[in-house]
Amino acid sequence: MRKVLEVILLLLLLVFTHAKGTRYSPPGKPALTRCRSPEKETFTCWWEPGSDGGLPTTYALYYRKESSDTVNECPDYRTAGENSCFFNKNDTSIWVNYNITVVATNALGRTFSDPVDIDVVYIVKPNPPEQVAVTVMEDKGWPFIRVSWEPPHKADTRSGWITLMYEIRVKLEEENDWETHLAGQQKMFNIFSLRSGGTYLVQVRCKPDHGFWSEWSSSSYVKVPDYFHREKSVWILITVFCAFIFLIVTWLLHMNSRSLKHFILPPVPGPKIKGFDKQLLKNGKSEEVFSALVVSDFPPKSSNYEDLLVEYLEVYIPEEQELMLEKSMDLDVSCLKSEGSTSDSDSGRGSCDSHTLLMHKCDGVKEGRERQAEEARRHQKDWKEEASTYSNVDSSPDMSSGRVKTWPSVFSPLPRYSSNQQGSLETAKQHYLSDSLFRPSSTSSCHTQPGHGATEALGPSYWECGLSNKQPHLLHPQGQAQRQLQAHSDDNISSIGRKPTPAGLPSPALRSTEYVEVQRVNEEDMVLLQPVSGRCGDVEGYPQVPHGEDYSKVKGVDGDNMLLLQREVREETGNCDTPSTVATTQKPTTCIHSAMPVQGEAVLGVNGYVDTATVFTLPTY
Amino acid sequence: MDRVVLMLSVLSLGVSSQPITDGQRLFSIAVSRVQHLHLLAQRIFSDLESSLQTKEQRQLNKIFLQDFCNSDYIISPIDKHETQRSPVLKLLSISYRLVESWEFPSRSLAGGSAPRSQISPKLSELKTGIHLLIRANEDGAELFPDSSALQLAPYGDYYQSPGTDESLRRTYELLACFKKDMHKVETYLTVAKCRLSPEANCTL
Repeated sequence: MRKVLEVILLLLLLVFTHAKGTRYSPPGKPALTRCRSPEKETFTCWWEPGSDGGLPTTYALYYRKESSDTVNECPDYRTAGENSCFFNKNDTSIWVNYNITVVATNALGRTFSDPVDIDVVYIVKPNPPEQVAVTVMEDKGWPFIRVSWEPPHKADTRSGWITLMYEIRVKLEEENDWETHLAGQQKMFNIFSLRSGGTYLVQVRCKPDHGFWSEWSSSSYVKVPDYFHREKSVWILITVFCAFIFLIVTWLLHMNSRSLKHFILPPVPGPKIKGFDKQLLKNGKSEEVFSALVVSDFPPKSSNYEDLLVEYLEVYIPEEQELMLEKSMDLDVSCLKSEGSTSDSDSGRGSCDSHTLLMHKCDGVKEGRERQAEEARRHQKDWKEEASTYSNVDSSPDMSSGRVKTWPSVFSPLPRYSSNQQGSLETAKQHYLSDSLFRPSSTSSCHTQPGHGATEALGPSYWECGLSNKQPHLLHPQGQAQRQLQAHSDDNISSIGRKPTPAGLPSPALRSTEYVEVQRVNEEDMVLLQPVSGRCGDVEGYPQVPHGEDYSKVKGVDGDNMLLLQREVREETGNCDTPSTVATTQKPTTCIHSAMPVQGEAVLGVNGYVDTATVFTLPTY
Repeated sequence: MDRVVLMLSVLSLGVSSQPITDGQRLFSIAVSRVQHLHLLAQRIFSDLESSLQTKEQRQLNKIFLQDFCNSDYIISPIDKHETQRSPVLKLLSISYRLVESWEFPSRSLAGGSAPRSQISPKLSELKTGIHLLIRANEDGAELFPDSSALQLAPYGDYYQSPGTDESLRRTYELLACFKKDMHKVETYLTVAKCRLSPEANCTL
C-alpha cells in the first residue's frame, strides 16, 4: 500500500510538474556581489540570488581558505541581513585568500555561483567617521568653521592596526557644488573664506591606506554669522566720501572751466589787424581792404607832431635861479631841465636827457657865469643888436612853478613871436622842440653865435649865458610866447610865461633858450634878429601879431656849414628895434638866410626844419 | 672594577635611552618605505591584471590558489589578535625575514618597466632599516627558539624554473605574493611603532 501511495505521489508530482510546464526550474545562478570588511577584523559578503525557479530556494555560502582544503560554510547568515554572510573575528584571517562560493538550492536542483577570491586586507571599507562636530570660530574678526570628528568606533586606529585618511566636503545650503578637502590622518579641519550669513553643510568620510572610501557621514549644518556688515559700512562710508569729493571737483571744474580751457588748450591767436575787415576781403575787394588799413593819421603831420613834441616840453627853473636872474638881470644860466626821460623814452633824448649832465653843465656854466656875465654885459648891447640866429630860445622864466618838457626840438630859425599867433605858436613849439633837441646836444656848449662878432668869442657857454643875458629882456615876450605856447600845449608845459617879468629864473642847471625874432632884413640881406622881449612892445597878453618876417624855416645848410633860413613873409608891425646882425648869405631878397656855423650835418625835416639833435654837435668843453 | 661597572651602566643607559627617540624615527622611516613598496607592488599588479583578459584572469586565480607563496613557511600572525599579542621584537624579526625572502626574487621581477627596477634596491634599504630597528630593540636579546627566523629560507629552487610559457603566470604569482608580504610588513611595523610610542596615539 505504501509503495502504491509513494508511486501515486510521485506520479502526481510528475503530473504537476508536467502540467505546470516550465514554471519550476532549478534556481538561477547566484552571484556574489561584494564582500566588505569594516575594520580589517571581520568581513561580510553579500550575494545576489538568481531566479528561484518558482520554488523555494535556499542559499548557502561555502568558503575555503588557501592554506586548507576544508570547505566551511558561512557561520552567520543573519547578522548582516538578507543574502549575506558575516565572518566574525574568529573566522577571519588576514593575508589569507578566501575562496567563497554561493550555492542556491531548490527542490529541483542546486546552482553554484562563480567563486570569488578575496583577501580581507583589500576589501576594507570602513564606516563613516563619527561624532562630526562643526563649530564656528573667529580669527581676528573673520569667522571660520572648525570640523572635528572621530574615527568609526570599530576601526582600531590606536594600535595602528588600521590607518585611516579623512576627507571633508562643504557646500552652501542652496548650492549644488561640494568643496572637498583632504584632511589626511588628522581629526580636525578648518574651513575659511565663508560667506556671511550662509548656511553650510559639512560631511566627512574616511579610507584606509589600502582600501575603499567610506560613505559620507550625515550632513552637519552650521550657520555663519553676519560679519560683513561692518565691512560694508566702511565701504559705504568710503564710497560716499569719494562721491562727495567727486562732486566738489566737478563743481570746481565747472566754475573754472573757462580758465582751464585756456590753460589746457590755449586759444590760437587769430590775426587781427586794426581796420582790417574780413568781410571786405571775402567780398574780394582788396583795394578797399587795404585802403582801410591806411591810417589816416600816419605819417603824423607836423602839427600833430609838434603837439606831441610839445607835450613833453618841460622847463624847470628853481626859485634860486629866478632870484638870481632877477638880481643880476644878466648872466643867469638857466638850465632847462628836460624831463622827458622818465615818462617817455624818446629816441632823441638819449644821454642828452641826463639830468645830471645838464646840471653839471649848467653848474659849469654857472661858474663861468661871472666871467660871462661881464662879457655878457659887454656884449649885451651888441648882442641885442646882433641877430642871433639861434633858432630856438627857450626860456622858462618861471621855473619854480613848473616845468616844461622840451622835446629835442628842431633847431629852427627864429620865430617871430609877436607876429605869429598860432603859427608862431606852432613854430614856437617847434622851437621848443628844437631847443630841447638842441639843448642836450649842446649842453656843453653854447651854440649860438649871434652873428659874427663878439658873441663868437663867448663860445658855447656864452650861448647860455647869452641867453640868460637876454633873459630879462626876453622874458617878457618870451613869457608871452610861452604863455601862448602854454595855452596850446599840454599840461607838461606849465607856468611858462606866467610872469610877465622874468621873475622865474632858470636854475643854473637849466639852460634857457630864447626866442629871437627876426626884426627886419637890412639892405645887406641880413636878418636882424631881436630877442623877443617886453621892450618890443606890450607883448603881455598881446596876441601875437605877426610882425616882421617869420624866419622859422630852415631852408638848408650850405657847404660852409651855414644854416640857411627861409623867410616867411608876414605882416610886420613895428616892433622893437633890436637889431641883430646876421651873417650874410648869398641869397638876397626873398630868402634871407642867416647862417649859423653849424657843425655837423643838417637834416631837413619835413617842413624844412632842421633837426638839431642830429645836426649840431657842439663842441664840448 | 666599580668604575667599569659604573661606565657600563651609564653606557647601557645611554644606549637604551637613545633608541626610544631614534626608534620612533627609524620606525617612521621604515614604515614609510614599506608603504611605498606596497604601493609600488599594488600598482604593478594592477597593471598586470588590467593587461590580462578576463579568461586568463580566471585561470590565474585558480593557479594562484593552487600555488602558494614562497613566504608561507614564515609563520606570522594572521589576525589582529595575534599581532597584538606578539612582542615587538618578534614582529620586527618576522618583518626582517619577509623582506629578506624577497631580496632575491625581486631581481627577477625587475625587468622592463621602471617601477619594477626600483623594488630590489628599496628592499635592500628596508632590510637594513629593519635590522637597525632590531638592534635598537634588542634589549633583552631574546633569542627566539625558532632559529630559522634568521636563516635564509630555501626558496631559491622554487623560482629557478623560468619557462617562457609560465612567465606570465609566475609574474602574476610573484606580484601577488609580493604585494601581500609588503602589506604584512607594513602592518607589523606600524603596530610595533604604535606600541612603542603610545603618545603618538598612532593616528598621525
